[in-house]
Amino acid sequence: MNRRVLLVGLAVALPLVVLLVASLSRDPTRIDSPLIGRAAPAFRLISLDGGDPLTLQSLRGRAVVVNFWATWCVPCVAEHAALVQAAQSSGTRVAFVGVVYQDQDSEVRAFLRQHGASYPMVMDPDGRAAIAYGVYGVPETFFISADGIIVNKQTGTLTAARLEQLVAELARPAERGPS
Amino acid sequence: MTAAIGRSLVLLSLFAAVAGSVVAFGGAAYRNTAAQRWARRLLALYSASIIAANLLMVWALLRPDFSVGYVAAVGSRSVPKWVAIVSLWSSLEGSILFWGLVLAVYLAIAAWTQRASQSDYMPWAIGVWLSTAAFFSLLLSGPAQPFTTVPLPPSDGPGPNALLQNHLLMAIHPPFLYAGYVGMTIPFGLAAAALLAGRFGPGLQRTLRTWLLVPWMFLTIAIVLGGWWAYEVLGWGGYWAWDPVENASLLPWLTATAALHSALLVERRAVLKGWAVTLVMASFLLTILGTFMTRSGVFNSVHSFTQSPIGPTILAFLALATVFSVLLLAMRIDTLAPEGQLEPGFTRDTLLLLGNLLLVLFAFTVLVGTVFPLIVDALWHRQMSVGRPYFDHMVAPLGVALLLLKGLGPALPWRRPNRERLLRTLGWPLVTAGLAFGTAWAAGSRSPWALLVAFFAGYAVHVALREIWLPIGQRLRVLRLHHALAEAQRTGRRRMAAHVIHLGAIVIVVGVAISSTMTVSKEVALASGESFALGRYTLTFVGAEVRSEGHRDAVVARVDVAQGGRHLASLTPRMNYYASQQTPIGTPAVRSTLFEDLYLSLLSVDPARQTIGLRALVNPMVSWIWAGMILMAIGAIALLLPARRTLPPAGAGGVA
Repeated sequence: MNRRVLLVGLAVALPLVVLLVASLSRDPTRIDSPLIGRAAPAFRLISLDGGDPLTLQSLRGRAVVVNFWATWCVPCVAEHAALVQAAQSSGTRVAFVGVVYQDQDSEVRAFLRQHGASYPMVMDPDGRAAIAYGVYGVPETFFISADGIIVNKQTGTLTAARLEQLVAELARPAERGPS
Repeated sequence: MTAAIGRSLVLLSLFAAVAGSVVAFGGAAYRNTAAQRWARRLLALYSASIIAANLLMVWALLRPDFSVGYVAAVGSRSVPKWVAIVSLWSSLEGSILFWGLVLAVYLAIAAWTQRASQSDYMPWAIGVWLSTAAFFSLLLSGPAQPFTTVPLPPSDGPGPNALLQNHLLMAIHPPFLYAGYVGMTIPFGLAAAALLAGRFGPGLQRTLRTWLLVPWMFLTIAIVLGGWWAYEVLGWGGYWAWDPVENASLLPWLTATAALHSALLVERRAVLKGWAVTLVMASFLLTILGTFMTRSGVFNSVHSFTQSPIGPTILAFLALATVFSVLLLAMRIDTLAPEGQLEPGFTRDTLLLLGNLLLVLFAFTVLVGTVFPLIVDALWHRQMSVGRPYFDHMVAPLGVALLLLKGLGPALPWRRPNRERLLRTLGWPLVTAGLAFGTAWAAGSRSPWALLVAFFAGYAVHVALREIWLPIGQRLRVLRLHHALAEAQRTGRRRMAAHVIHLGAIVIVVGVAISSTMTVSKEVALASGESFALGRYTLTFVGAEVRSEGHRDAVVARVDVAQGGRHLASLTPRMNYYASQQTPIGTPAVRSTLFEDLYLSLLSVDPARQTIGLRALVNPMVSWIWAGMILMAIGAIALLLPARRTLPPAGAGGVA
């Protein structure tokens, strides 16, 4: 047994294997936004159901999930059911808001009639909210803590499991390490 | 029905591989020739069943038979035949099946060419090969089963990933890559066999060298073809982005290149056997690492297969194979004791060794850059990406140093030279180096790295050409030209071929250095009839039209290219729209000449208003990269052609 070869071999290989194991659950599509850790930009947007405009301010005190989406975006359609489900099951602790991105009222209404809805939808006709949040493409979902800080951002389709996990993290008050 | 037959074939291959490896190891350990014969039969059974499974899948894709799970996932009635066949490796399960096919062909050929061999290493090698094969059959029979039964077959399927349908190179690049990746299994088995048998004699060295060169050649071609594909399809104007998966293909190439060069020292001096064996084993492990990278969903890349459940399984195999390799090396490396010694001082030996170390350092640098985001994410939960600047800064000096060695090394004799002779052999190439430097300077290059590359490349080209010419020139003194050529070819082919490979590599390095430092680009918005100038070209947007092409729709823009008022060409960059994909895929238009490419890529197009957004680049010397690849392939093939053994082997005084 050549001890040196063994030690060098293990010293090179083991950390790499451990690193890869630790990375298995990594999601490379998660892109941190410079907004994470900052106050969520305020918005005042027209509700789709014709009621009063919805402001972020009015939700202060509850954790908020803001989902930018559109009916023409296939990944958005794919995650819709998961969002509806999560909004229903998380009760009043977490508020969900759907911000419609570059789309028509009529299309959105038809879509929601067909696929169901459980949380307020607002229109962002000139895209101001999308610009304020630095939305690059839909879907993008922002997770805002009860004190109005963006704690997480997801790009791309959310699965029910991932969403549940993120909402749970959001509802649990700040235990994330410094970022 | 088809699916059930496919599953049976996969299970049969799993059985053959498992049983074969057990029987082979047993036969090797107990020197039982009957068991060794059975191992070969089981190897043949493995190959036959996996090849049959692949044929079945291709048949199902061509029909298309949507009752087979994989066909339902990637098949389509509307795609052309070549796309249907390419679908075999377009998605996760099929790609593993195709992996099996390539491995089966390699194993069959390797076992067949060694059929008469009574050597003590073959049974060990077969055992290792079939263990690897067993793992991939295991993937196919469980986590990545392509032959699932679809109870209610759909009437049509989505077709493969649109990016793969977009260019014919996609039909060519993956098979070459697999031939490179999978092929590393063969030298790995042979290297492990050298350790297990405790002997690494000339016979095994020759076999190992050949079987290392084959996948190395395919990998070389695959890497360049991948760059070519990116250049022709992705539309950002470059061919290499230090994408994790590009790096993954480069890593085993670097270690295999080092292994090929260390094999020279093993052959000449009977030293560094353990080192060479280690490099071969590392090359294989790095191919498995690359496979993990593409299929685990841990890295984000154009190459990634969608979120797949087989990541952990491949990682387990990687860990197992690594532990096996490290333990085997630690336990047995001392059996491969050196029988000679290196010639110290400023000799070819020293430079070969130095080159080896640089290549390994190169691989290590790329590996660190590739996994660094994982480290940061694991330790600090932050996203970061390691981009071009890191790789360019780290790799440029290494590349230049290797280029320098490529010129100096072959110029030095194997034995310690005398001073006068040394000055003469090392002096003349400086002239060519100066010329190359001057040419690059005159062409406007001011990047220190590019100028340095030009200088060293000139030097290395001179040396390589001299080495190719030397055996011919010596014989010309006594023979006519065609006899001299034939004679030189017969006795000095290995050396000439090796230098042709060097020439190809130098041409590639020059192409990369110049094209990456001297590109000119412009992004413009144009309405029809408008023109703009780029370099010496004037480009005019003529108009855009919508075309329907069966499996896709396309918007094609026409741009006229003129130079000094003279019409040169009409280029048609386009956007292709596939039913299966939301965003269109652009296809750039490239006008290649020997010294520069004009590259047009559509950023946006509005056929109704007749306006386009266009990115235009003038990329100098990009076609040199493709030409260099062809040279390298020619050299490698010449090296692989069976040699007629005549005269005493080189080194018996031929050169000195």
